[in-house]
Amino acid sequence: MLVGISLISFFIMHLAPGDITSNEAAFNPKASEESRQKLREMYNLDKPIIVQYGLWLKRMLTLDFGQSFASHQKPVFWQTTDAEGNVTEGLIQQALPITLMINLLGLAITLSLAIPLGIIAARKYQGWQDRSITLFNFIGFSIPGFWLSLLLMYWLGVVNNWFPISGMHSLNYESLDTWDKIKDTFSHLFLPVVIPSITGLAGITLFVKNGMLDVLQQDYITTARAKGLGEHKVVYTHALRNALLPLITIIGLSIPGLIGGSVIAETIFAIPGMGKLFYDAVLMRDFPVVMGILTIGSALTLVGNLLADVAYAWADPRVRRGVAKT
Amino acid sequence: MPPLSNLKIAVSLSFILFIAGCHSPTDNKNLIDYNAQFPKISGGTLINAMTGEPSGLISMIAGESASSAISSNIFNSLLKYDKNLELEGDLVEHWDISTDQKTITFKLKSNLKWADNNPLTSADVLFTWQAVTNEKNASPYASDFLLVKKAETPDPQTFRVTYEQAYAPALDSWAGLQILPKHLLEGKDLHTTAFARNPVGSHYYKLDSWKHGEHLKLSRNANSVLGPAQIDNLVTRIIPDNSAQFLELMADNIDLMGLDPIKYSRIIPARPELQKKLALYKELGNSYTYMGFNLKHKPFDDVRVRRAINYAIDKQEIIDGVYLGLGINIASPYKPGTRWSNPTLTPYPYDPAKARALLKEAGFTDSNGDGILERDGKPFSFEIITNQNKEREKSAVLIQRRLKEVGIDVQIRAIEWASFISRFIKTGDFDVVVLGWGLGLDPDQYNIWHSSQQAPGQFNFIGYNNPKIDKLLEQGRLELNPDKRMDIYHQFAATLLEDCPIIYLSAGYGLTAIHKRVKGIDDPAPPAGIGHNSQDWYIPQSLRRNEISAH
Repeated sequence: MLVGISLISFFIMHLAPGDITSNEAAFNPKASEESRQKLREMYNLDKPIIVQYGLWLKRMLTLDFGQSFASHQKPVFWQTTDAEGNVTEGLIQQALPITLMINLLGLAITLSLAIPLGIIAARKYQGWQDRSITLFNFIGFSIPGFWLSLLLMYWLGVVNNWFPISGMHSLNYESLDTWDKIKDTFSHLFLPVVIPSITGLAGITLFVKNGMLDVLQQDYITTARAKGLGEHKVVYTHALRNALLPLITIIGLSIPGLIGGSVIAETIFAIPGMGKLFYDAVLMRDFPVVMGILTIGSALTLVGNLLADVAYAWADPRVRRGVAKT
Repeated sequence: MPPLSNLKIAVSLSFILFIAGCHSPTDNKNLIDYNAQFPKISGGTLINAMTGEPSGLISMIAGESASSAISSNIFNSLLKYDKNLELEGDLVEHWDISTDQKTITFKLKSNLKWADNNPLTSADVLFTWQAVTNEKNASPYASDFLLVKKAETPDPQTFRVTYEQAYAPALDSWAGLQILPKHLLEGKDLHTTAFARNPVGSHYYKLDSWKHGEHLKLSRNANSVLGPAQIDNLVTRIIPDNSAQFLELMADNIDLMGLDPIKYSRIIPARPELQKKLALYKELGNSYTYMGFNLKHKPFDDVRVRRAINYAIDKQEIIDGVYLGLGINIASPYKPGTRWSNPTLTPYPYDPAKARALLKEAGFTDSNGDGILERDGKPFSFEIITNQNKEREKSAVLIQRRLKEVGIDVQIRAIEWASFISRFIKTGDFDVVVLGWGLGLDPDQYNIWHSSQQAPGQFNFIGYNNPKIDKLLEQGRLELNPDKRMDIYHQFAATLLEDCPIIYLSAGYGLTAIHKRVKGIDDPAPPAGIGHNSQDWYIPQSLRRNEISAH
């Protein structure tokens, strides 16, 4: 499966016109065609694609993701140490933790808001609560994220100076004590985390609400009510657990997104994450980086799907028994 | 980043609409009068921002502007340009050119030291030359230095190069080559060495810290070969988005940034609290936008047709409409105000009547009355291609309209950069391009105009072939005397203007906003731009940012 994915992405990437030597900065009369040709030879770009793929696959067998063309030949994936003990950190190694942290925090906020909102909307279906939640969600869903970001950056950063505008840390971060470092990081992460979670709220709220509505119409809920259980117990003990099952699928599907990052958000907030890394690598035709991210991304997607299936089996006895029988 | 530029325009537009309706931020900094007199005192931190991160700080390998922007504060070259763009010594005390113009002898200043206290000698210069010409390093700038036949170091303060034949751009090339320390780099692979992220140089500043994707901090180099700079620290933050940079500028978190014409002439002047703290500067860059013909395609091989199109285009309209007036009309491929620009030349005026007459002379008439001219039954119709650059696209639209008025049908296509180069420019499969040249300070433009430079991937992709131009370019390369050289390039520019292989559309100003706490900046900008004396800029004590609270 991974070989298939990598083969297809390798060929698509090489179908795109141009290579590392044809970026805009290289369109400089001082830089001669011969020197560009030398660079191509250095990176084996003059060989047929199938040979290049073979070379890449050979390196992959030893989990060697290679070096970036564009970023001073930094390792793509993990750090290397040279003879004098200078450590060069890998590009993915630097970008992945940042993106993961932001997206996990964002997912946590989204879920902690979406589940209660979905339940309220389902219980008060067609009531004013439901309608205002739906309205709020759709406003959030429809507002372009970058626009909302710029508005909030202006209001919270320029007019009021409550939050930093962009970047990950203050310039004097190193000189702060631990508590101030944590505060500093959180204030820098506030906008990049909160904005995508607001705009991502609509989908999950709707899922929870619809799941809840389905479940609440089931016979066993009627039974539960008929035997005189309190409304609270009916909703939270009996209905909710079943209504949340589809969420497992959603979360499983969102795993690739967790490591993918968003180009636009990362660009606006000046965050050196995966989205920006991938986008720049595509523009620069930095093949090793593109292939490294795609490979790790597809491997993680497969793992995510597997985890979702396992979690499903854990949460839903029907699935589990189905597996046992066959 | 072409696909992002659409987004950026959208972002900045919505942003402008928004801030126009907002109330102004208030803080006590507004009470400070930045225009008062302050004593000159060294120290402080200057914070600026860049959209891209350097890949490394060995600029002969990195090759991108982000890298040289930082490394030019860390490394010296043998020569440099003064405020009027004349060459002067940087590491070099003086230099002599032999009578046959083939040998240049550089005499280094005495007691030069690297930031790590090791002496800087001619051996370092020789090492740098060997590095840039080493095939293994594949430096994009090797070609100028490969012409050196012999490089030698008779003593630790003397470096001598001999060329096969006189090569006038040599001096400029030595002003561009940053000298690297031999004792730290000998035997290392320049493509992977950790030195590129932890350099040791000789200039005003040294690298203090580099946080990947966040910022680079330079601090004063005590061993600076040109004496101390005024400002203690230079911090460059990496903020990829222009709108975010501008917000940081408004919030006083960065001190300077490059502007686009809308910010320069609309947003900042409309907001008194920004005007109070920001000073605006404009300087001519070494670049211009042009419309180039594929001279191998008919009818662009006919000079009458090229001139007619030149007369038919209103260049001032493009400058006013696209650049909000922040550009000038040029008549030669050199920066106006420098010695290479021929002051007697004037650009083609906007004259549609003349354009129509020339087209008629070339055999174009509107025989079927549809408003489009024909020759031999074929309508005069072509396609302008450009890369996805908003200014160039807008210029093309204005050109389209003006050419329609004289009876030429024009289509426009904007293409992503890499496809643009590999599908159209390299193959020569285009009629007309709208593009720009950003040029060095040396007048030699052999690579762009000489008829031998037409192979795929070379820069004379318009297919220009004029023996007179070829001869002038060859002469210009052989003449090291600046005054004689100037005459050659004045003639070259005049011939080029008359022959009209391209149409100069405009040369835009570089626009910068700098916080008024930074003093000592030349205004108006000299030919070399405001940055030429940045080591003398200073920030008065009372205006310094409270560094503890800086975001």
